[in-house]
Amino acid sequence: MPKKFILPLFLAVALAFPLLPMSNDYVLHVVTLVVVYMVLAMGLNVLPGFCGLLDLGFVGFYGVGAYTAGLLTVHYGVSLWIMVPAAVLNGALWGVVLGVPTLRLSGDYFAIVTFGFAELVVLFLTNEIWLTRGPLGLPGIDPVSVDLSFLNPAWIYEFEGERPYFYLGLAMLVLVYLTMRRLEDSRLGRAWLAIREDQLAAASCGVNIYAYKIIAFGISAGVGALAGCFFARWTLFLSPDMFKFWESFLILCMVVLGGLGNIHGAMVGAAILIALGEVLRVVLPELGLPNEARFLVYGLIMICIMRFKPKGFFPKIAAAGESNPLIKRLRAQLEQHGGTAR
Amino acid sequence: MLEQQLVNGLTLGVIYALIAVGYTMVYGVIELINFAHGEVYMIGAFLCVTFITAVGLPFYVSMLLAMICAAAIGVSIDRIAYRPLRSSPRLAVLITAIGMSIFLQNLAMIIWGSRPVPFPQDAVPAYLKLTAIEFSGVHLSWLQLFIFAVTFSMMLLLYVIINHTRMGTAMRALAQNRTCSQLMGVNVNRVIAFTFALGSSMGAVAGVLVAVYYNTLSPTMGYVAGVKAFAAAVLGGIGSVPGAMLGGIVLGIAEALGAGYVSSLYRDGVAYAVLIAVIIFRPSGLLGKALVEKA
Repeated sequence: MPKKFILPLFLAVALAFPLLPMSNDYVLHVVTLVVVYMVLAMGLNVLPGFCGLLDLGFVGFYGVGAYTAGLLTVHYGVSLWIMVPAAVLNGALWGVVLGVPTLRLSGDYFAIVTFGFAELVVLFLTNEIWLTRGPLGLPGIDPVSVDLSFLNPAWIYEFEGERPYFYLGLAMLVLVYLTMRRLEDSRLGRAWLAIREDQLAAASCGVNIYAYKIIAFGISAGVGALAGCFFARWTLFLSPDMFKFWESFLILCMVVLGGLGNIHGAMVGAAILIALGEVLRVVLPELGLPNEARFLVYGLIMICIMRFKPKGFFPKIAAAGESNPLIKRLRAQLEQHGGTAR
Repeated sequence: MLEQQLVNGLTLGVIYALIAVGYTMVYGVIELINFAHGEVYMIGAFLCVTFITAVGLPFYVSMLLAMICAAAIGVSIDRIAYRPLRSSPRLAVLITAIGMSIFLQNLAMIIWGSRPVPFPQDAVPAYLKLTAIEFSGVHLSWLQLFIFAVTFSMMLLLYVIINHTRMGTAMRALAQNRTCSQLMGVNVNRVIAFTFALGSSMGAVAGVLVAVYYNTLSPTMGYVAGVKAFAAAVLGGIGSVPGAMLGGIVLGIAEALGAGYVSSLYRDGVAYAVLIAVIIFRPSGLLGKALVEKA
C-alpha cells in the first residue's frame, strides 16, 4: 500500500471508531488513553530518538503541563484558548531552564539530572499544599468547553462523556504527528540526526550542537506538557502520584519497543503497552497476582527487548547508515570518484 | 540540637557510603550506573528478616546469610542483564538497568507485600537499643556504634581487597583499560562478577542496618536510598572509592541539617538538589579525577 494512504486511512478508521457499536465508554476511555500516550511517546522520542539523549525526567514536564492547566482552570477559570498555550509554554520553559545547564553533559549524567528534576517536581507537587493540595490531589477541574462565543453567542460547546474527548485527543495526536513528521525531515531534524550519530563530527561540520539540543529539549517538554494539559481536563482530577518515575519508564518502554527514533514505532509501542496493561489488569487477578506484577512485566519486556532486539521492533536508527537515501547517494558519489566509503 | 543532628546525620551518612561504594565500584569497572543496586540493598534487608522470622536464625547469622545471598543476586543480575550487552551502546545498558530495577522492586512487592513491615524486634540483641554514650545532651546508642563499627570494618576490608590482592589489582587494571587488562591475562567477566558480589554484599549490610535503625523496611526503600547513594557517589567523584565514603558522609549530614533547619518535607529533595548541583558545577566530584566521558 502506498505510504501516502496510511494517514487518511488511519484517520478514517479513527473518526468512525466511536460510532461503532462496540465502542462503549470503557473502550473509548482506553483508546483515548492510548492517544494520550502516543502523544507522550512522540514527545519523548525527540530526545532519545532524534538526539540520542536519554531523558528520564519526561514525566516532570507532563506533570508541569497537567498542573498548570488544572490550577489555571480551578483558580482562574481561564478558557481553553489561554490554558493550552500557557501549559505548553510553561512546560517548554521548564524544559529550557533544565536544558541550559545540563545539556553540556552527556550520557549517563544527563539521564541522572533529568531524573532528579522529575523527582523534584513530584516533591514540589506533594509538599506545596497551599497551591496543589498536595497528596490529596486537585479535584474540581472543569470539563472542557469550547468557547467560540466571540464569533456567535450561541457557540459554546460543553464536553460530555468520552466521545468528544476522544475527538479532541485525536486532533492533538494528528497535530503532534504532523509536527513530528515535518521536524524529522527538516534542517533541524537532520541536525539532530547528525548529533545522534556522531556529535563530534556534527560539531566539526558547523552544527551548533548546544542550540539544537536546547530546541529539542524545549519541543519535547512542550509536547509532554500538551499531553498533560489534555489529561488534566479529561480526567478532571490530578494527584502527584500520577507523575512518578514509573510513568517516565513506561513511556520510555513505548519508545524503545517501537524502535528509538521511529515516530510510527513510538505510536505502535504506546498502543501495545497500554493494551497490554489493560489485558494484564484483567488477567493478573485471575492468576492470583497483585497489580504490581504489571510493572514486573514491563521491566521484563524492557530487559528482553534490549537483550534480543536492542533496536526495538521497528528499527530506524540502526539502518540510518544503510538505507538513508542521502547517505546512499553520498556513498555512491564517493565511490565514483575513487574514494573509499567507510 | 546541632550536635545530635550531626550524630544522626553521620550515622545515615556512613550507611549511604556503604551503598555508594557499590555504585562507584561498578561504575569504575564497567562504566554503568547500576540502577538495580538500590533493589539489592532492599532485598538484602528483606532476606535478613525472612531468615529471622521464617527460619528462626539469630540476627548476626541472618545478616551474614543475607550478605551471601545478595552477592549471588548481584552476580546473577550482571550475568542475566548486563553481560550480554557488554559491547552494546551505553543507552541500551542504562535502559536494561532501569528495567532490572523495576523488575526487582515489583518482584519484592509480590513476594513480601507492598506495605512497610516492622523489623522483628525480639531478634535484635537488646543492648543495641541502649544509650552507649551520653555527652552534654547528645545520645549515641549502641546501635549507632555498631553501625559505625560495621561500616568501618567493611571499608577497611574493601581497602585491603582493592589494594593488596590479585583480584583488587585486576579490578583497578580493568577500570583503567579493559582491552589492555584482557591482553595481560585478566579474566574480565570474573573480575566484574567479583565486583558485583562485593558491592552487593555491602549494599545488603546497609539495608539490614537501615531496617534495624528505622525499625521498618519496605519494597520501595531501595528506590530513594539508591538515588541518595548514587548522589553520594557522584558527590565524592564517581569511580573513586574514598570519594564515595566522603560523599556519603557529607550527604548524610547535609540531609540531617536540611531536615532539621530548613524543611523536613524536602528531606529527600536535598539529595536530588545536591546531585543536580554537583553534576552541573563539578561533575568530577570532590575526589574524582577530571571526567573524560568515553563514547
